[in-house]
Amino acid sequence: MYKQNWRAFLVASNLDRVKKAGRAGYQPGASPKIAAMLIAPSLVVMGVIILYPLLNSLWLSLFNYQLTRPDAFAFTLTQNYLRVIHDDTFWIAFKNTTVFTFFTVVISLVLGLIMALAIDQLPKRFTSLRGIILVPWVIPGIVVGYLFMYMFDVEVGIFNYVLQKLHVIQQFLPWLMNGDLAMIAIIVAHVWNQAPFYMLMFTAGLKAIPEDVKEAAYVEGASRWQEFWHVTMPHLKGILVITSLLMVIRNFNNFPIIFTMTGGGPVYTTTTSVIYIYRLAFEQYDMGYASAVGIIWVIVLLILSIFYVRALQKDF
Amino acid sequence: MIRRRFSILWSGLLTLVLGFTVLWTLFPIYWMLSTSLKENLDVFKLPPDLWPLHPTLINYFNLSNGITPIWTFFINSVITSLGTVVIAVALATFAGYALSRLRFRFRKSILIGVLVTQMFPLVVLLIPLYLFYVRSHLLNTYFGLILAYTSFTLPFGIWMIKGFVDTVPVEIEEAAMVDGCTRLQAMRQIVFPLIIPGVVATAVFAFLDAWNNLLFPLTLVNDVTMKTLPPGMILAFGGEFKHDWGGMMAASTIVTIPVIIGFVLIQRYLVEGLTGGAVKG
Repeated sequence: MYKQNWRAFLVASNLDRVKKAGRAGYQPGASPKIAAMLIAPSLVVMGVIILYPLLNSLWLSLFNYQLTRPDAFAFTLTQNYLRVIHDDTFWIAFKNTTVFTFFTVVISLVLGLIMALAIDQLPKRFTSLRGIILVPWVIPGIVVGYLFMYMFDVEVGIFNYVLQKLHVIQQFLPWLMNGDLAMIAIIVAHVWNQAPFYMLMFTAGLKAIPEDVKEAAYVEGASRWQEFWHVTMPHLKGILVITSLLMVIRNFNNFPIIFTMTGGGPVYTTTTSVIYIYRLAFEQYDMGYASAVGIIWVIVLLILSIFYVRALQKDF
Repeated sequence: MIRRRFSILWSGLLTLVLGFTVLWTLFPIYWMLSTSLKENLDVFKLPPDLWPLHPTLINYFNLSNGITPIWTFFINSVITSLGTVVIAVALATFAGYALSRLRFRFRKSILIGVLVTQMFPLVVLLIPLYLFYVRSHLLNTYFGLILAYTSFTLPFGIWMIKGFVDTVPVEIEEAAMVDGCTRLQAMRQIVFPLIIPGVVATAVFAFLDAWNNLLFPLTLVNDVTMKTLPPGMILAFGGEFKHDWGGMMAASTIVTIPVIIGFVLIQRYLVEGLTGGAVKG
């Protein structure tokens, strides 16, 4: 939504500017009146479109509010939240979200790092390769979803064909019709979509390593592995932490790829939190309960974002 | 700079990794294009043809003549995305400037607050928004969609623009003000021209973000003629046409082309801006 990812770039591009935010840029005697005038329009819009819906969601979560049953409308306080405890689908979605987020983040992280390191080794005239590798990152989620749905198709999908040719599998697998395989398929699609972003972030980190540090390591006779482990990695740590936290938050909220590829199925095997809330709200019209589930996720993500903001302030 | 000497083993490994990377990256895109140019019979052929042996534009023509008005979706996408860009960039430029340059109460709280809005699952905002839109007749309107898109493009834009204003030395502005400019004149005549590349990049990002969004138009639009491309694709290929792979890939290509153009426009800026100076602390 992604591409979720554009917003990730904001922080990426501003890492060092964030650092300076507290110090630079002020002018004495600046008028608060001008500031108010410049900021007010944005605050009003965000109030209407973000703050009001958020508070409203919190309020709705206290009601039994089903669009299809106006007669059952009632204030229930904690009932929606208590319902969560016994809601099997909620816990399945919780598990799926965790699995999906964990594997997409870890695999993309490793792939992105390898790509960044490999391209960094190339002579300068080949670095336009980086631009090419970035392309999947800008492909719309819906296209990624449909494209991989096609490639994972049981009959005409190229994955089955290639895997069979390589003798990895004996017969064509029904990727999107089997729970475990479907999860693997959406993770593959998502990694394809996102790994380039990690590559970009790590490249930025690699560029920031001072030449003389690398040179010193070389002169001292460090092996490639030692150089990587003792020089490169410590420099990438900050970026690694920030990027992963950001992407954990982003991937929690992924919608289009899963929605198009499996719609959350078969049964509930790929239903993540966002898909579950969407289905509760816009297919079952159970607005009160959907809001409660949503608020629980907001709280989880807010806790994660506290770590994120902390890491941001500490490292940059 | 120093370069280690490449051993044969190391070069081999590097080539292998890069080769795999390029194949992994580009093959799906190639496959999308290639399939969109195949006749239906060839799409279902096994083993598949690596390139279209009988290239045809039939899938694209079918999209235009079929029951789903793909060009209406396209136009809706363009209108809502451009509308979002105009609103988000205009508001973000003012707010970003103020947050970068002026000192006032709650400045830091506002900055953190704006950042945190990026963490919310959009679907949580969507439920009240949907109910609100039903009441105020904003469902199926361009304005409604544009407003909804603003919920993610505006906070993003504010942080982007703030970052760009931060890079303009304060001294230039001070000099202008010593010479008699008011703050707003200094902003318009000195700072704004300097951050135009940043504003353009922000605009492209906002455009792509709005263009790619599925969740909002899926729920806030139920009139077919008001749908944008992503929910339009769901409509076109969600049901009985699920296995019209050629048509699906043709539609995917149409959705992707503007994105690729946008990417090419900002690509140099993106890669070099980010890898050049941005993260050097």
